[in-house]
Amino acid sequence: MKWAFVFACVLSSTLGDVLSAKGMSRDDEIDGEVLLGLSHVPRYIFTHRMVMAGVAANAVSFIAFLALLSVASLSFAVPATAIGYILKTAIAEWYLHEDVGWRRWSGVALVAVGIYLLTI
Amino acid sequence: MNLSARANLNRIFILLVVLSNTFGNFLLADGMNQMPNFFTTSFLSYTAALLANPYFLSGVALLAVWMGAQLTMFTWADLSYVLPVTASGYVLTALLSKYLLHEYISVGRWAGILLITFGSMLVYNTPPRTTPKPQGAAQ
Repeated sequence: MKWAFVFACVLSSTLGDVLSAKGMSRDDEIDGEVLLGLSHVPRYIFTHRMVMAGVAANAVSFIAFLALLSVASLSFAVPATAIGYILKTAIAEWYLHEDVGWRRWSGVALVAVGIYLLTI
Repeated sequence: MNLSARANLNRIFILLVVLSNTFGNFLLADGMNQMPNFFTTSFLSYTAALLANPYFLSGVALLAVWMGAQLTMFTWADLSYVLPVTASGYVLTALLSKYLLHEYISVGRWAGILLITFGSMLVYNTPPRTTPKPQGAAQ
């Protein structure tokens, strides 16, 4: 059962972050007057379906994580879901066409191993 | 916006994402510890207690700030940049646990803190955006 929750948590969180990043990257970069640029971001978030779908998927991930905590300890839940960092980076390279490169791959791998060590 | 202003905005938002997420989770955990048992309380009483809990409400407010700040960062930074760079929140959580809650940090956990810090710095030193803006953005 706990692996089903890990699977649900990682999958919905990955979907949420990928949709949010794709949706927000279409926004005008905050340019010129900083405060003027920042002030329109909330309206942009609430009026774009892809971004809202990303937020909803992240809400599902949060609920799945709480459900995971009800059947497993935090020291299992956090390292088990850290694999999401690798999955999200792979999808960012393949689907969002980001130039990940060796520095980012090394950084992400170190972060994932670090999270594992932090919680065992 | 010139390059220096853009770099400063990026730093401010990294800090905002890390701090709001870390303190939001701390407040949420603190608030949930003060709640009655979910299985022995009626749903209405539990919801009323939740909505009257200042720690829970402050935690939720900070996590909303975290979500908004992270979404804003996606307008100028890649997903593969934002996630590892803001993972330094794990380090802050561990250090707060040691210095505020006086928890013991083992050698393995110190190694984890070093790896996350090094990994975040490695990604921080790459350009935040590697993809061109889509044509007709923000129409």
